[in-house]
Amino acid sequence: MNDLIRFFRINTLATAGTSILACLLVAILLGPFVGIASPLELNMAERLQPPSADHLFGTDSFGRDMLARIIHGGRYTLAIGLGVVVVAFIVGVFFGTIAGFLGGIADMVIMRIVDAILSFPALVLAIALAAAFGPSLQNAMLAVAITLAPQFARLARSQALGVSVKPYVEAAVSLGLPKHRILWRHVLVNAIGPLLVQASLSVGSAILQTASLGFLGLGAQPPLAEWGADVSANLQFVRSSPWTALGPGFAILTTVLCFNLIGDALADWFNPRRRSEM
Amino acid sequence: MFDFVIRRLLALMPVLFVVLVIVFSLVRFIPGDPAVTLLGPGATESQVAALRAQLNLDAPLLQQFLEYLTGLIQGDMGRSLKSGKPVADEILARLPATLEISVFAVLIAIVVGIPIGILSATRPNSGFDHLVRVVSLVGVSIPAFLLALLLQLIFATWLGLLPVSGRMSAYLFVEPVTGFALIDAWLSGESGAIRSVLVHLVLPTSVLAAFLAATLGRFVRTTMLEVMTEDYIRTARAKGLTWSTVVYGHALRNSLLPAITVVGLKFAEMLGGAILTETIFAWPGIGRFMFEAIRNRDYPVIQGTTLVFALLFMLTSVVVDIIHAMLDPRVRGKMR
Repeated sequence: MNDLIRFFRINTLATAGTSILACLLVAILLGPFVGIASPLELNMAERLQPPSADHLFGTDSFGRDMLARIIHGGRYTLAIGLGVVVVAFIVGVFFGTIAGFLGGIADMVIMRIVDAILSFPALVLAIALAAAFGPSLQNAMLAVAITLAPQFARLARSQALGVSVKPYVEAAVSLGLPKHRILWRHVLVNAIGPLLVQASLSVGSAILQTASLGFLGLGAQPPLAEWGADVSANLQFVRSSPWTALGPGFAILTTVLCFNLIGDALADWFNPRRRSEM
Repeated sequence: MFDFVIRRLLALMPVLFVVLVIVFSLVRFIPGDPAVTLLGPGATESQVAALRAQLNLDAPLLQQFLEYLTGLIQGDMGRSLKSGKPVADEILARLPATLEISVFAVLIAIVVGIPIGILSATRPNSGFDHLVRVVSLVGVSIPAFLLALLLQLIFATWLGLLPVSGRMSAYLFVEPVTGFALIDAWLSGESGAIRSVLVHLVLPTSVLAAFLAATLGRFVRTTMLEVMTEDYIRTARAKGLTWSTVVYGHALRNSLLPAITVVGLKFAEMLGGAILTETIFAWPGIGRFMFEAIRNRDYPVIQGTTLVFALLFMLTSVVVDIIHAMLDPRVRGKMR
């Protein structure tokens, strides 16, 4: 753990990413207590105001404070990123480990489904599923999680395959331990490292995909302050009042960038060859 | 080689089957009675019955699926609920527009991404390397719709250098012969047509290419750095070969092979991005067609476009594998 902290210290970009996310988290947690306006408060007298001391990020066409909407939207974004990845991780790792460890018919059926899902461009499948489930933030998250899970399944399967021929697993088998116990206590625990790296790299794309669904009107519905939906809601004002759409857009970019910086650093950390280079 | 292609195509069949099951199921995922949901609360019973018949929802599930498959084999993807025209015809009419920006975007991404990755890897930790790493990380982190908006604002609205959207200037009349605007413009012989088409292509292709170029640059850089630590590189250096022979003759060849696979796989993600890009730039391809279908809840069109995107992707991955096998005999062996 100390090593990891030291590693982050040397890696300036990852530290920057972590710090910016920490600031966002503080803003989200403390926002309501330090007088940030409500993201839903309408004020038609102050509609489409450019950024000023009163409204740091300006106001939208309903006179709502953009800073408040962005800070409030941060909650959804963090919840989306983590929620989607956790669901995809659990489902993907569960089926992937089973496929790798049991082999045979289970492996074949699971992997064909995985291959099929991976045969769609991820965003296209997410859009089609979200369109079928009906437009809402939860359904959009579910749709993105479905497209993300196969990546975990594939990785978990290859990890489980590699681990299951190790002597300690063979020993556990010859001791007569039940399969589910070997699976969770011996196979999964030893395959977890690369899976966690994949998870940290997936948070960014989970946020991007869900925001894209929001932008297309398939995710969060107005007046919810979700960033992707906010960009598209303000699209018609973008030429006269660019801050309305660009604010939430840059918020998405910054957050995804931070998660990718951290994911990259973790990937380097788990790659022994590159770790020694640092 | 012929054997390899046949085996690769056969291996695709079970996957294609599951893909078809997923696309077929899309309408059935709609909560409640799809026909009632699609028509809204004001629908009469006869309207619901008519739509159920049109979507073929009344037969037993297995029979529905078999009829769907038979239809597909005959090129029948059903009819659009909005226009009433066959979905297959509507998609075919729009496919060239999507292929046009996709092909240009892939070319731009290869021309920009690969050299940047090589230059970055041959000068690790230099200022250029750091710049490339940051810019390419922004490239994979930026939402396509934000990049599109920024480019529109800067180059169209503020600088007035490029058109905001569309495929060619409205005053031009170019007979759509092939559906590819550039070829049609060339065939028409109208002065300024080719220039107009090219100018309209710049922004949408740049947006599509950005993600692919950034991914490629990052990937080539990483693989090349790893290849540079291989034993055969050390051997080549020890033999006294010049640095440039080692980099361009040995390292580059071995780093570019996996890059082909990445181009293929990311091409698919780019197709997904086409939905956003085409919508923002009013580009008349299948991406925008799918977006309009979602707005109109036109499920036969959503199913059709989803299937076409998946088929394009699968086709790309087969082509990529074949190219890979042509270049690397080890891959051919593995498929046996």
